[in-house]
Amino acid sequence: MAVTGVELSSARLQRNRRSGVLKRLMSDYGQEVVVFAAIITLFVVVTMINPRFVSANNLTSIFAGNAYIAVAAIGMSMVIITGNIDVSVGALIGVLATISGTLAVAGYPIWVAWFLPVLVGMAINAVIGVLVAYAKIPSIVVTLGALSILRGGLISVTGGTWISNLPPDFLIAQKRLLGVPVPLIAMVVLTLAAAAWMRYFAFGRSLYALGGNPEAAVASGIPAERRTVAVFIIHGFFAGLATILFATQLQVIQSTVPPNLELTIITAAVIGGASILGGSGTVVGSTLAAILFAAIGSALIFTNVSAYWFRAVIGLLILATVLADMLRRQRST
Amino acid sequence: MADTPAFVTLSGISKAFAGVRVLKDVSFDVRPGEVHALLGENGAGKSTLIKILSGLYTPDTGTIIIDGKNVKFASPRDATAAGIATVYQELLLFPELSVAENVFLGNYPRTSMGIIDWAEVRSRTRELLDSLDTHDLDVDDKVLSLSVAQRQRVEIAKALSKNARVLIMDEPTASLVEADVRRLMDIVRQLRARGVGIIYVSHRMSEIFALADRVTVLRDGAFVATRDVGDVDEAGLVALMVGRSIESLFPKLDVPIGETVLEVKNLNHGRHVRDISFGLRKGEVLGVAGLVGSGRTELALTLFGMTPATSGEILLDGRPVSIRSPLQARDLGIAYVPEDRGLQGLVKPMTIRKNVTMATLEKVSSGMFLRAREEASRAMAAVKRLGIRCRNIDQPVAQLSGGNQQKVVIAKWLQTNPRILILDEPTRGVDVGAKSEIHLVMGELVKQGVAILMISSELPEVLGMSDRVLVMSDGRITDVLDRAEATPERVGAAMTAPRSAEAA
Amino acid sequence: MTLRSFIRHETLLALLLALVLVVLSLQSDKFLTVQNLLNQGRLMTETGLIAIAMTFVIATGGIDLSVGSILGLSAILTGVFWQNVGLPLSVTAVAAIAVGTIAGLVNGIIITRFKVPPLIATLATLALYRGLAEGISQARSVRGYPEWFYVLGQGSVLGVPTQLWILLLAAVTASILLAYTRYGRTVYVIGSNEVTARFSGLSVEGTKLALYTASGFTAAVAAVIFVSRVSTTRSDMGTGIELDAITAVVLGGTSIFGGRGTVLGTVIGLCLIQALKNGLLLAGVKGDGTIMLIGAVLILAILASNLFERSGPR
Repeated sequence: MAVTGVELSSARLQRNRRSGVLKRLMSDYGQEVVVFAAIITLFVVVTMINPRFVSANNLTSIFAGNAYIAVAAIGMSMVIITGNIDVSVGALIGVLATISGTLAVAGYPIWVAWFLPVLVGMAINAVIGVLVAYAKIPSIVVTLGALSILRGGLISVTGGTWISNLPPDFLIAQKRLLGVPVPLIAMVVLTLAAAAWMRYFAFGRSLYALGGNPEAAVASGIPAERRTVAVFIIHGFFAGLATILFATQLQVIQSTVPPNLELTIITAAVIGGASILGGSGTVVGSTLAAILFAAIGSALIFTNVSAYWFRAVIGLLILATVLADMLRRQRST
Repeated sequence: MADTPAFVTLSGISKAFAGVRVLKDVSFDVRPGEVHALLGENGAGKSTLIKILSGLYTPDTGTIIIDGKNVKFASPRDATAAGIATVYQELLLFPELSVAENVFLGNYPRTSMGIIDWAEVRSRTRELLDSLDTHDLDVDDKVLSLSVAQRQRVEIAKALSKNARVLIMDEPTASLVEADVRRLMDIVRQLRARGVGIIYVSHRMSEIFALADRVTVLRDGAFVATRDVGDVDEAGLVALMVGRSIESLFPKLDVPIGETVLEVKNLNHGRHVRDISFGLRKGEVLGVAGLVGSGRTELALTLFGMTPATSGEILLDGRPVSIRSPLQARDLGIAYVPEDRGLQGLVKPMTIRKNVTMATLEKVSSGMFLRAREEASRAMAAVKRLGIRCRNIDQPVAQLSGGNQQKVVIAKWLQTNPRILILDEPTRGVDVGAKSEIHLVMGELVKQGVAILMISSELPEVLGMSDRVLVMSDGRITDVLDRAEATPERVGAAMTAPRSAEAA
Repeated sequence: MTLRSFIRHETLLALLLALVLVVLSLQSDKFLTVQNLLNQGRLMTETGLIAIAMTFVIATGGIDLSVGSILGLSAILTGVFWQNVGLPLSVTAVAAIAVGTIAGLVNGIIITRFKVPPLIATLATLALYRGLAEGISQARSVRGYPEWFYVLGQGSVLGVPTQLWILLLAAVTASILLAYTRYGRTVYVIGSNEVTARFSGLSVEGTKLALYTASGFTAAVAAVIFVSRVSTTRSDMGTGIELDAITAVVLGGTSIFGGRGTVLGTVIGLCLIQALKNGLLLAGVKGDGTIMLIGAVLILAILASNLFERSGPR
């Protein structure tokens, strides 16, 4: 019996009706659901082993301590969704943190110390964006160069010294608003704002179009070059906000950032569902992934596994996510 | 209807690329509520004309008049704004986005606050799809999960969402199965009834006679005629298209046909190669006719080991062989000149020399080292044998004309001394001169005893060059005809056979 | 010879290198001495070996970000097998190289079998291999290797640093392999048009698998040399070396999109970077200022070659 197109279509329709809400959720937000389920599972399992895992203190450190990674991953997701990448963001955060601390110590108003670096981040990324969009240099090459410049610049300016004696008002990441740590609030608000922007505004939607099918995007009247520059500037904006959280979480600002910070941020974006091939992903996913990382790091400590295995676990996690994504793609085509 | 003033009128349109004139003084118009078919062989200039009308190209000379006003399109956006929309062969959709979003992308309904009104996007998409009698498409489905026919309906809905008054459909049925073709034709009739003017490009005579009000024929970039469909018949249209009799165009050599070299029994791969059995003999040209999507290319890919057979038998000289990779196929004496020469046949930035020896690197090496002189002499001999027009063998193939590029691909495979040569659209996008040269080469090869399997969308080429014609539809062989019995009517009937042969 | 073929990327780069050498030797009389130059060669060997393999990988249109982590893992295993397991050092070095090679093979399998884009595949294994190095070593370093082992990283043969001979051998072999053999031709074809490569019966998957494996192998060899040079093993060894290697390769004219590039270009790129690092240090510029300059040179070099290419006839 041959099945005609019409019969196929109606069979499909019935399947869709039967499948209902859960299927729709999985097909549109599969990655987010998976990451969320992983977080829940982790919490349940680790709490059974060691109930102190869910103490208020530890929860604060999980959710607030890594908030700056989640915030930076918002911008990174946008960059990846449009089909580009940025390996310089870790060094950028280091540079901006140093600028911020220097301004704060030099006695400039606190808000200048916070937000001037944000502008600097946007300006630096504007240059990167122009090189990618107009000079047609692949983003991996441009940001590789930017990584060297920023990293070298950071160390040669600071000479490796830490900035201390930061004014107490400057340390916003250590404050609470209505009893909730500020980084947590920032993470949630920024994630939701960015998610809404990418869902409800034509500009935000155009990122998906650009990454999914650049030719068709241009044919639909989306100015590809200008948008690419804009996405990098927005990414710089979020990197700047991430810097505020990063620079103010300790009493001192170190002259270095955690090693491979850029890769952690990229990984958060990718595990959160941003496809490196472009065209899909959400910032809710990347924030969930950042929380998952923090929870895994903490879980290793609470289960008495050496924290030195952290990166291996993350590596396996990325690998599993990517392989699952590729298998899903192969099946759907 | 003839009294209705035209909505769009093109007159005296010419266009040249790199000095080659692809359109010469062409005139064309579309009226509201008519289906105007555009007909011509590959390379006749249809796509160029369409691209001018949709704003992708600007004409060198000539005028475009819409509603009596002279217009110039600087970009596709201008054409869209003027009410002209195109449903392309390569569909321009976003696979990761939903049906509804694809329809309204770049053009979202918004609330007073400027945010996208998704409820409106979805309900208006629903309305548009319903108006196309497409009730089986969920507006929330991602496009990547849709069939080609469904994607096409999304494209049509997208065009309608922009209030298109002229819809250009470029080979819309090329990759559709029969049932979807009937649905599409219903949609086209419905659009016509609503007063939309439709430019319908197709090779399929049956569709043109079923749908079109008028038909315009192009040949070699020039305007041939515009006729009311009621005033012409199929033979007349073919004559207008080809402009010459088939015999003079295709220099078929009569070569004694030898024993069977390739035999295929009940071959299967996926949906497009189903239960295929046939034999191919020494010195024979076996033409394969069928619509795009009928499984012609898929059959070739399976024989060539790209998509190895899932079941069935391939016999070479009576011995069963297993072909799991192109390398194996090559070593068994099977060569395949692919359909898309830019993507599959050539490395365009590389030189003629490197392209010619690409499939036979071990023949130009001692051990693992390439012998530059051997490579050059082979490339030079190939240039001479096939009459490739070039500055020298170290010219990048990107700089050659389409015909010469195709000769390079053929030369590459002749290096393997194939016994069985599969040619997939060997003369697509090739100028008339190079085309007959390629046909001459085919004649020479069969004289040497090579067996040729030739896939072509161009019916006159299949009929003119083949000893036998194998017709495919929907992944199956629907007919096998000898040269004498292969008429356009019989082949055409078998091409669109709705699997009637299944019972046989 | 046309003007255009004369202004090839490598030629431009060699001129730039010559200019840099002249300027730097005017800046400091310590720069252009045999002793200094040989010592610089010693310092660039690890990056050099990795960059040579990376040239092939990038020429196919791929990338390998995991080499730094493979280096770290192999270095750790050399030490751990020797100190904790008690195997002879010669055996552990070979075993560590074998593991590094397998790590490369795993990259290749993920990329060819599962069709994961190389950037993502090796990003994942970058984290995984480094994590294994950290987990296995628990951040403890290994020291006190036997004296003979230092010949590799600190000794000389015929007055030239031992590892420089290895680099030279690797560069010459790779150069010949890429320029004059059918494997090299296959690499370029894959990088220019993978589909055509497949349709021409070339072994696309096999070639890629071999290249990523070779990339792991060279990273592991670099690890042993590295350990021998600095007399110690730490899990963070080689962090960021992938970026240095990619910089050298891309600076050397290999297109990040694949299809174009030479080992000679990579070697010139390497020398340029090393000369800048050393020369600026001698001229009193702080070490990290030179990293900035390298970043700028990378971007400007690609920008310049992009502009040349676009203005030339098509």
